[in-house]
Formats: sequence, C-alpha cells, structure tokens
Amino acid sequence: MIKPLDVAAGSVLVTALVLGLVVPPDAVQGDLQRIMYVHVPSAWLAYLSFGLTLVFGVAYLRTRRIRWDHLAGASAEVGVVFTGLALVTGSIWGKPVWGVWWTWDARLVLTAVMFFVYLGYLALRRAFEDPEVRARRASVYGIVAVAQIPLVHFSVVWWRGLHQPPTVLRPGDPQIDGPLLAALLAAVFAFTVVYAALVSRRAEVARLEDLAAALPADGAVAGAGISAPPIVGGGR
Amino acid sequence: MSDWGWVALAFAIVYGTLGAYTAALMRRAARLRRGVER
Repeated sequence: MIKPLDVAAGSVLVTALVLGLVVPPDAVQGDLQRIMYVHVPSAWLAYLSFGLTLVFGVAYLRTRRIRWDHLAGASAEVGVVFTGLALVTGSIWGKPVWGVWWTWDARLVLTAVMFFVYLGYLALRRAFEDPEVRARRASVYGIVAVAQIPLVHFSVVWWRGLHQPPTVLRPGDPQIDGPLLAALLAAVFAFTVVYAALVSRRAEVARLEDLAAALPADGAVAGAGISAPPIVGGGR
Repeated sequence: MSDWGWVALAFAIVYGTLGAYTAALMRRAARLRRGVER
C-alpha cells in the first residue's frame, strides 16, 4: 500500500535528481562534483539515523514502549544503508579525483568503523528472541555507539588528511556557490524525507515481525505431531 | 570513464539501492501481514 509519505518522498527525490543534473558544473571539479548531491546527503543521513537511534533508544528506556525500539532498529538499519552509500559514492568520486578508490584518511576510516559498529548493532538485535531483552540491550548499545558521530564529523578538522574540511556546516558562510548550494540543500531535504518514509516502513515490518513471532507456529496444536503411517499399495 | 560516466554510476547505485530497499520492505510487510491475518 502506497502512503502519502511515500508519494512525498518520491516527488522530492525526483526533484533533487533533476536539480543535481541540471545545475551548472563546479568551476574546479566540473561535472564530477555532481556526485556530492548523493554523497553529502547520504553522509548527513548517517548522522541523523544514528542520532535518532539514540533518541528512540532513550525513549524506550524511559517508557518501555516497544514502538520506540522498533523505530530505533529501523533508524539504525536505514542508517547503515545510507552509510554504505556514502562510502561507495565517496569511493566513486575519489577514483577520478584523488586517483584511488580508498585511502587511509581519518574521515574514511572512521566512517567505515561507524558502518561496522552499526552492523554490530543490527546483529545484536537478532541475537535475542525476547523483544524486551532485545530492546533494552540495543538501546544501551545505541547510546554508547553514537559517540562516534562527533569523531567522524570533526575528524577532518582534528587530523590532516585528504578529505576536505566542512563546506556547509562550518563557521562563517558556506564555501559553495548559490545554485550549487540550493541543489545540495534540496538533495539533503529530499533524502531526509526518504529517510522518514523508509523508517516508517521498516518500523512497521518490525512490528509485524514481533506479532508473527508471538503467534503459535504452524502445526503447534495438540496432537499435530501424531500422524497415521502412509498407506502403501492402497486402493485394492 | 568520462565524468558523466562516474556521475551516472554513483546516481544509479544510490537510486537503485533506495528503490530496491523500498521494494523489499513493502514485499516483506505484505508477506508478514498475510501471515499474521491468516
């Protein structure tokens, strides 16, 4: 079933795609800079997803309502998808611009570590069958793991590396021309709406998974394990 | 590969992944809903 949020997400995503392809090219990088219209929003969504995983985890620990845990798990999974996309698109941009797919730069390494830490979060969630135990442990993990976000964001300031320092989220005016900034902000907005739509869908799947797990398994009724032997040579 | 080739590759991966993930979530939700309602 298509929801209004899905329609909104699709519309803004198409708008961002068109904007990203029609705005003028960058003066230095040319058309390759267009990759930033998918790379930067993906990286922003990684921060937002894992930040909200913390918020939903705290909300669960305070209220013990399982709905918050479904949202925390959904946000983390969507965050892993966007972190993976940020790593891949950064690599695709890095090959023609830096000349390498990967380099041991602090920002790249810490982002990869964050990706694997949240894969660990998702693995932890699958390790417990009891929803209450799962929610409690995952909430604590989500609260501890979020400490990486400032480390990833400020790594370009604290350590000298290949990755450029912040262009938009920095003291003073953004170091980017108006139309390019507009396309970038449109993409960030579009990806944020997509994030909301995906988390809503994933949380619904989590709710249904818990409901399905609570149902008795097929054939788990009295006497179901007893069956008559097969009739061999019947019909005589 | 040309600059536009790299751009097309990046956009195709991002939009393709988001589309496939959305489709997978919708299919899984529909299957679970059928199982729960049965």
